[in-house]
Amino acid sequence: MGYFERALLAAVVIGAGAGFVGALVVLRRRTFFAQALTHGTYPGAVAAAALGVSVPAGAALASVALVAMMAGIARIRRQGAQVAAGIVLTGGFAAGALLQALIPGLPVQAESLLVGSILTVSEADIALAACVALIAIAAVAFVGKEIAFSTFDPAGFRAAGYREWPIELLVLALTAASVVSSLPAVGAILAIALIAAPAAAARLVVASFRGVLLAAPVIGAASGVLGVLASRALAVAAGPAIALAATAFFLLALGISKVRGLPLRRADIPVETAEDARIA
Amino acid sequence: MTDSPVLRLVDTAFTHPGGAGVEGLRLDIAPGEAVALIGPNGAGKSTLLKGILGLVPRTAGTIEIGGVPGDAQAHARHGIVSFLPQSADLDPDFPISLEQVVMQGRYRGLGLFRWPGRADRAAVRHVLESVGLESLGARPFGELSGGQRQRGLLARALASEPRLLLLDEPFNGLDQPNREALVDTIRSLKRDGVAVLVSTHDLELARLVCDSVVLVNRTQVSCGPVDEVLTLGNIQECFEGVEVEIDEHTLVVPGHEGH
Repeated sequence: MGYFERALLAAVVIGAGAGFVGALVVLRRRTFFAQALTHGTYPGAVAAAALGVSVPAGAALASVALVAMMAGIARIRRQGAQVAAGIVLTGGFAAGALLQALIPGLPVQAESLLVGSILTVSEADIALAACVALIAIAAVAFVGKEIAFSTFDPAGFRAAGYREWPIELLVLALTAASVVSSLPAVGAILAIALIAAPAAAARLVVASFRGVLLAAPVIGAASGVLGVLASRALAVAAGPAIALAATAFFLLALGISKVRGLPLRRADIPVETAEDARIA
Repeated sequence: MTDSPVLRLVDTAFTHPGGAGVEGLRLDIAPGEAVALIGPNGAGKSTLLKGILGLVPRTAGTIEIGGVPGDAQAHARHGIVSFLPQSADLDPDFPISLEQVVMQGRYRGLGLFRWPGRADRAAVRHVLESVGLESLGARPFGELSGGQRQRGLLARALASEPRLLLLDEPFNGLDQPNREALVDTIRSLKRDGVAVLVSTHDLELARLVCDSVVLVNRTQVSCGPVDEVLTLGNIQECFEGVEVEIDEHTLVVPGHEGH
């Protein structure tokens, strides 16, 4: 397999996986959380590169610490979680930049950690992304109905006798794994585009949980492939091209939803009672 | 044995970690019995219901559900207790249909790792009919009117086929037709042997649909058959200086003489 074919395969696998996990992230309104995570993994990746160990392993280690921290804070208060995510985001990024400046002669270029370099991904990177995607699919196959219930109605979920934190922790762990496995393709700064944009686009044009979970990976994979092709055709960096392709899909979906009036189809809600009429 | 209470509270107290709570609860609810939970705002009605659910810690006394000690956290997996909250804090943008919301009521019975089957879909259709929403099952939940959402959430609470149904201020914000529909639903649940505990400000509705009344104001003031409990003296004690709705009039209950 040539480097270009391998890049295309990586784009499909990583794009689809990030799109799938991104659907959970966007529906649960954890996008800012995920963004904090992408930046927070940066110092872990730099440290791993400096020590000569696996970059994804370093990023994963950093993200495990962050997931534990943010899950703990999210249990306390939602507002606090936003603040914590903001601090983790900038703090992580600053720590990464500082580490990079302090350690001379890093074997990896700073740019590839920040915006990825899909043309140099290894088969191990692709295998990791495939594993993450399969685990995410398995998680949704097994506890998808509980994830949907707790996302839609957290209070009702608790009242039905469920505990919320295992679901929260599961989705956060999947998010962290997805971020780490996306780094080779799009880097710490652009990973959020591949996670949030395809899912947000799917959400705009599809009106069911299952539909979003199916459409987002397709859009993510398409973004990856388009980005890689554009990178070769126009001789531009692949990471930004992938992120821009995902953004373009989002804008396209936004246009379609505006035209169709979805998801708020203001169709005929039957007015049965005076109170319904008042609300309508 | 069949007439053993669905819910039994003995000298029970439920207290929020912050300190507010309700105490001195002594209450039996038999199958097919509807009990009105009455008291002023902030009297601990919601706390009591959430305590039964296991969402507010029990700090004294005992609780038995279906003859088994323990709150609903221990029982909910059997679908014994269902709850209709006063105001649902749910995500109206989440892509989900009314049918799928009602199906959530079946999840506890299904358990983890299993998806709904034919019997569950039939049960969902049945409860949607019983609340009069059978024609709207496929509609996105966020597009329903307030009254329809309330009925949809009631259908979800019924979908688990509970033996005890807890309703928190279900009549608030409902117009006359929706109130009557809810009264009918409660009556038919009673006929099916479901025990109902309903918190309300509305003494008229309590008389209309309930067999017994519990008056609470931080502690249990009185408990018994509707006619014996809803006396002027009891209401004065419970609602001192608070607005009460009775016989379509709102009146402010004066305090006891000498206060």
